[in-house]
Amino acid sequence: MTALGTPIQGVTLYSFTRAFHGREYDLEGLIRKVAADGYGPGLEIIGFSSFRGFPEIDDRFAGEFRDLVDEVGLVTTSLAVNADIGIHRDRLLDQDELIEYMTRQIQAAAKLGFPIARVQISITPDSMERLAPIAERHGVTLALEVHADQYASHPRILALRDRYERVGSPFLGFTADWGATVSGFAPSLLEAYRRRGASEELLSRVVALWDEFSEQGPPADQADHGQRFGRFIGLAAQNGRPDLGIDFAINGTGLFGPARVDDWLEIMPWIKHVHGKFFGIDEHGEEPSVPVRDLIGLLVRNGYSGAVSSEYEGWHWNNWQSPFEIIAAEQAVQRSAAQNAGSRMITDAAEARAALANHLPHALMKETNA
Amino acid sequence: MIADRIIEQGTLITDGTRVSVEVRIPWYRALPGSCIAGAALSIDGVEAPAATLRWGMNGRTFTFDELVGETGEWWFPTDSAVLSGDLVVAADAAEHEVRVDLTLYIPYIIIGDDETLHIEEHDVKTMPAREAVAA
Repeated sequence: MTALGTPIQGVTLYSFTRAFHGREYDLEGLIRKVAADGYGPGLEIIGFSSFRGFPEIDDRFAGEFRDLVDEVGLVTTSLAVNADIGIHRDRLLDQDELIEYMTRQIQAAAKLGFPIARVQISITPDSMERLAPIAERHGVTLALEVHADQYASHPRILALRDRYERVGSPFLGFTADWGATVSGFAPSLLEAYRRRGASEELLSRVVALWDEFSEQGPPADQADHGQRFGRFIGLAAQNGRPDLGIDFAINGTGLFGPARVDDWLEIMPWIKHVHGKFFGIDEHGEEPSVPVRDLIGLLVRNGYSGAVSSEYEGWHWNNWQSPFEIIAAEQAVQRSAAQNAGSRMITDAAEARAALANHLPHALMKETNA
Repeated sequence: MIADRIIEQGTLITDGTRVSVEVRIPWYRALPGSCIAGAALSIDGVEAPAATLRWGMNGRTFTFDELVGETGEWWFPTDSAVLSGDLVVAADAAEHEVRVDLTLYIPYIIIGDDETLHIEEHDVKTMPAREAVAA
């Protein structure tokens, strides 16, 4: 029987995008706040969001960053990197260019002390295989994000999983994003539409359409996904609000994925990192549309002791509430759920470091790595 | 995303023949110049001629044609860029309606065989125009 897991509590600075973008906190100030207010110890950062000049990181900055993280008692978990395949206006990057582009970001992750680099679905199985020895050389595990509209048992994800199995590198895995396994259309987004003048009748139809798709299960393939996307656009147009159509469609299909919680079992051994994606907290202190308790329970029962980065996505539309209290409340739900599952979340930095080293035993965790 | 922040309040400047306004990226991460695909600037409903538009970023000034191949200079999320163009606006106490439209490519989201996602965002704010100070 698998020993119960003790997931590491943490946060991605992406959750605080509105505060950083609004110049309320600079990077150092935000990291200090994350530590002081207890959102850690796990710290995830998006390279292109937070580090000026990324992926070029000079030695002095890397040293200062590592010193700051140590000083405040946080633990770097995942550096979110991007495959900017469309960076040139007239063509996509070829495979050699993409490998070179990703290598620079993997080097940055190592230099900044992140044991994991989150990569995205646009990286093919062939590219992941080519990146494996590069990841190994730098001691950085590549965790490809499984994000709606994909899900664990989606053909593209299973193709990656099968390739991982064949390649056999412990440096290849997944980041499980909870947005793939959502249980309802987020009420905070409905409130945002309400504030933009959407009628209650239209909103109830949006919810009913999402529920219909949820009953059918996640989209079988990209064509099915495209059809659902179109249905949301059509719904908005038929109800006199064509201006909301793209928004309904992007969020209804790309943020709120309707796979079942146990779908994650398809890839559980390869889950190296988790995005605790969520959208809001209701008057009962619960996440009304993400089954946080079930998801934490699943991780605990399956022995997961890696990090969970709380990833608050409600900031896109919720400009009437501070994200800080909402994120603290969601983390309280995680801790409660872990306890209910007979375990707990790790909130101590030293224990988190040890758990992460155990979770990624192959990683070199180099102190300095150019 | 954060389109309500595109125009920086109180940054409309005029020298009598050209105007400029500071703009913020409506996205959570830095994008290179090559992904800044287009803009429009209008004051009180009058649009600056497209050929006269210039994009100021990281201490450099670009035409939109020059941005196409620019992957060295990046628009960081906390930086203001400067959008300018030919328009006659007086520097006085009058309030002006400023509208900025932006088209950005999101280089990591590929939506078709060779197609990169682009987003179109706009913002409208009202502010007086200040007189340009000679450098």
